[in-house]
Amino acid sequence: MILALQEAMVQSEYFQPELTVMGTTSGGMTFGEAYYRGLQAKAGAPHAASLIANYTPQKPVMDAQEAFRITAPCQVIANACASGTNAIGHAFECVRSGRYQRVMAGGYDAISELVFVGFDSLQASTPELCRPFDSERTGMVLGEGAAVLFLENFDAAKARGAKILAEVIGYGISTDNYHLTQPNPSGSGARLAMEGALRSAGMEAAAIDYINAHGTATPFNDAAEGKAIAELFNGVPVSSTKGMMGHSLGAAGAIEAVISILTLRDQLLPPNINFRKPDGDLDLNIVANQVQTGQVRTVLSNSFGFGGTNACIILRSVTA
Amino acid sequence: MSALSKSAAEGGISIPGPLSIAGMGWVTPLGSGIEEVWAHLLKGETAAATTISSPLGPSHAVFRVPPEATAQTAAHPRLRRSSAISRFAAVAGLEALTNANVRIDAETSKRIALIFAVSNGGVIYTKRFYHDIVESGAHAASPLLFPETVFNAPASHLAAILGITGTSYTLVGDGAVGVLALKMAEDLLRDDALDYCLVVGAEEADWLLCDAYRKWRLLRPAPPIEPFQEPPRGTIFSEGAGALLLSAERVASSCPVSIERISAGTNFAKRREAPAAVEKIFAELCDPIPGLICASANGTFIDAAERTAIEKHSPDAQVYSIKVALGESVGASSLWQTIVAAQALMKQNVPGKTKIDLVQIALISTCGLNQQVAGVLLRLNP
Repeated sequence: MILALQEAMVQSEYFQPELTVMGTTSGGMTFGEAYYRGLQAKAGAPHAASLIANYTPQKPVMDAQEAFRITAPCQVIANACASGTNAIGHAFECVRSGRYQRVMAGGYDAISELVFVGFDSLQASTPELCRPFDSERTGMVLGEGAAVLFLENFDAAKARGAKILAEVIGYGISTDNYHLTQPNPSGSGARLAMEGALRSAGMEAAAIDYINAHGTATPFNDAAEGKAIAELFNGVPVSSTKGMMGHSLGAAGAIEAVISILTLRDQLLPPNINFRKPDGDLDLNIVANQVQTGQVRTVLSNSFGFGGTNACIILRSVTA
Repeated sequence: MSALSKSAAEGGISIPGPLSIAGMGWVTPLGSGIEEVWAHLLKGETAAATTISSPLGPSHAVFRVPPEATAQTAAHPRLRRSSAISRFAAVAGLEALTNANVRIDAETSKRIALIFAVSNGGVIYTKRFYHDIVESGAHAASPLLFPETVFNAPASHLAAILGITGTSYTLVGDGAVGVLALKMAEDLLRDDALDYCLVVGAEEADWLLCDAYRKWRLLRPAPPIEPFQEPPRGTIFSEGAGALLLSAERVASSCPVSIERISAGTNFAKRREAPAAVEKIFAELCDPIPGLICASANGTFIDAAERTAIEKHSPDAQVYSIKVALGESVGASSLWQTIVAAQALMKQNVPGKTKIDLVQIALISTCGLNQQVAGVLLRLNP
């Protein structure tokens, strides 16, 4: 989190947010694990008070803000794997409403034993390669990391001569009440969120040039998401970058927003690696294995999570 | 990396007036139901402490929710195997909707948002799940328990029970997280697409949390909680939930109490910096000067921070801390404080006071145990 914020600050050193909105799934779980193992060993964990303080999910944000003397109030969203995209989406709405000029957003998560074993217990993770949207996909590979984005009112940023990397123009959120860990197989939750993002951006599905999919490579997610994408979009290039970076849970949406911005900047579609055999049930235009060039002005980025949370944002390149 | 958001008129954003409190609900160690618990509070009752024993350390005194307070939730399929925190949230949330006479159907389900505030999450199942891993190895991990360890599990259950299909957020933080959730609700209700926002905060007690808070030197071995005493002698952990149904005034204009202003707060790096952080909140909110302050004082370092701010900004206000009666429930606490403040304004009565002067403005001060502070100003409508 601190490293990600540091990189963002180097690019925009005078950015002082009025609000911070971050996403996480498990916060400081590794500290909680160390504390419990210390208790279990009946020796007590060394530095117990420090472990407790760092276990709290908001602590990485507090530490990062303290490191850069940022005192903005923090809203830390824990909407499972949609958290990062939720954070950017909510930050976007806060700026668009006119209530805030500058909001810091992003996501963070670190791999912990509990989370690793948890996904394994659900048979959601794979010991093999992560193959999003492949017919022989066997599950996700966990990742970790953080990403930070500075959102600012467009006119204010332009007026101060800021280097504008992209615009956030749409956000959709939906809640799928089907099951605590599985999406509705119809893809209705994902579809509602994507439709909401399009509505928020005031654009038609045909205007989307590339979709950075949630694409965890679990049989359930990819089937539901793929169905929803196929129903809404007609042959738009799709890739999931989780084959390359793993699924970083609460950080994933923020990391993938950065990837989407780089897609807009470089006009290169990131590949969906490890793709061997199309899923016959999914009518998708997968960016298979190799990076592709393309004219990309708008990107839809999807994130879906446990609890039936679905979040989508739309990013647009800024023309001179 | 920076991304920019254009200020756009599109999207149905409007500028509403203050927020109305359309409904309230709570589950506490003194039972559930706004009026029932309020009656207990007015009698000066405090929750009865029970002992929670730890297999790995000393026992602890806690204020627990009596089982009958959530008995009716067992019938719902989503709650049959859920953790206590989900049941608390469901009971409080449903009461807030009932008290506001709001029924959720296919149409209204899209126009109501849910924000769930929590600090420690489903710690009972999290501990059980991890205990099995530590004791027996990864192969013993239960796929039934893991989903309940995720912070947003209670929000998911509540959304499913209510049929909410749109906006649902789980916010994590310390004792101030409930107020941060109210602030988020205020931001969400700027959008004409939403009529209501249900804010629910909850916490469940477990010996592991008590052990941690004791090692943090925040707990005392037995009641009473003595706010504003020097030196601070510690608090008692508790559990439960609080819920507020908020609406823009364009939707519910006749509610007796409104949220006049919310300070989204700030953070403090060290405990010694807490007084300055709390003082900043009071400086933002003490205009007009409140007649009542519902403090978060709980027998810890928080008390001195709040005392300094109260003496400077509102020395004549009546001060009440509900934590004396209900304990420190972290994720639920600041919503309990808000409910008490709203009740006090409506009833013109404060627990523990024999007589109060007419009060129209109440301030809720929340200083968390882990670096966050925030505040709310309530107004009694004419």
